[in-house]
Amino acid sequence: MALRGWKVQHKRRAQEEIVGFVLIVVLVVIVLVIFLGISLRNPKPQQRESEIIYQFLESSMEQTTNCSLSEGASYLPLDDALRECHETGSSCADGMSSCDSSEDTLKKILNNSFAVGPAYPYKGYDISAVYVVNASGQQQVEPVLNITAGNCSNSYSGNSYWIPSFPGSIIVSAKLCG
Amino acid sequence: MIWRNAMEILQSVRYSKGQFKIQQMVFVLVATMIFFGIVAVFYVSIRLGSIKGDVQDERQEAVIAQVRKMSGTPEFIWSAWEDCASCVDIDKVFLLKNRTSYQGFWKDVALLKLVRVYPRYQTSECTTVSYPRCNEITLIEKPGYQSYEAFVSLCRYDGAIEQSRCELGKVVIGFEGVEGAA
Repeated sequence: MALRGWKVQHKRRAQEEIVGFVLIVVLVVIVLVIFLGISLRNPKPQQRESEIIYQFLESSMEQTTNCSLSEGASYLPLDDALRECHETGSSCADGMSSCDSSEDTLKKILNNSFAVGPAYPYKGYDISAVYVVNASGQQQVEPVLNITAGNCSNSYSGNSYWIPSFPGSIIVSAKLCG
Repeated sequence: MIWRNAMEILQSVRYSKGQFKIQQMVFVLVATMIFFGIVAVFYVSIRLGSIKGDVQDERQEAVIAQVRKMSGTPEFIWSAWEDCASCVDIDKVFLLKNRTSYQGFWKDVALLKLVRVYPRYQTSECTTVSYPRCNEITLIEKPGYQSYEAFVSLCRYDGAIEQSRCELGKVVIGFEGVEGAA
């Protein structure tokens, strides 16, 4: 009788230990699943310097625009149109301002180069041109143009291209968001 | 006699309990090690996956930089402006299109073409009739390649505006021996 009681007690204790072990394993699994879920849902924002974007910017700046400063004068390449836009803001022979002409040309180039949207590898882009000059030890930044499309998050590949514009430079930066 | 048998059973049970405890501990340790091992393998595979992706991106960028250098070769370069590294003389390339002397000139290259990005025209492949209002000049096209493309400027003298005109384009190169497109 005493032996039977001891065996029953021993069996119950073993069951309790197994239940405890299973509980610990389940708890650890739940914690790991939550951790993995959070880390996979919020991937680290990635900013990458891209050779392709540099090539794109460098080649785009050679694009001949529809802007000539007077009748019979030569049509400006995009970098000269941007420089003209910042320095004088003068109008082209067709009546369009040099700023509008450069923005229009760059928009058309971008539309033909990168398809953006939720269904495409690139979700959006952000192109900006700013004039940067170091005056008496302080850096001054003036916006020249900005073009955006689609949605841009913290993850993007980008690069920038410098156009000399004495005494400073126009920096054209492009971000392609993935 | 009965008492003696009971004591023996109890002793044997005590002995089994010790064994059971050791076994239990071993099982728990092994199970824990396997569990953390699986978690570690899973984590490492995710990390390696992202590193592999980064390496592939870096390699692709390096190849694209090499592809871009094609625009600097004598057959492609736009020599009217000295300071344009990305400019390709599209007239010169179009003249190369049907030159038999250039057959086999580019070794291990299965695809070599220039593509106009902006502006786009209705005609795809350039012919003597459609040039320059066309989008592509294909110099080489053989099956079985992996292609890479780099942005360049396609420049030519435009008689209509009596000056040089440059437009955005791409140089596309496919290398022999690897199937599929980049």
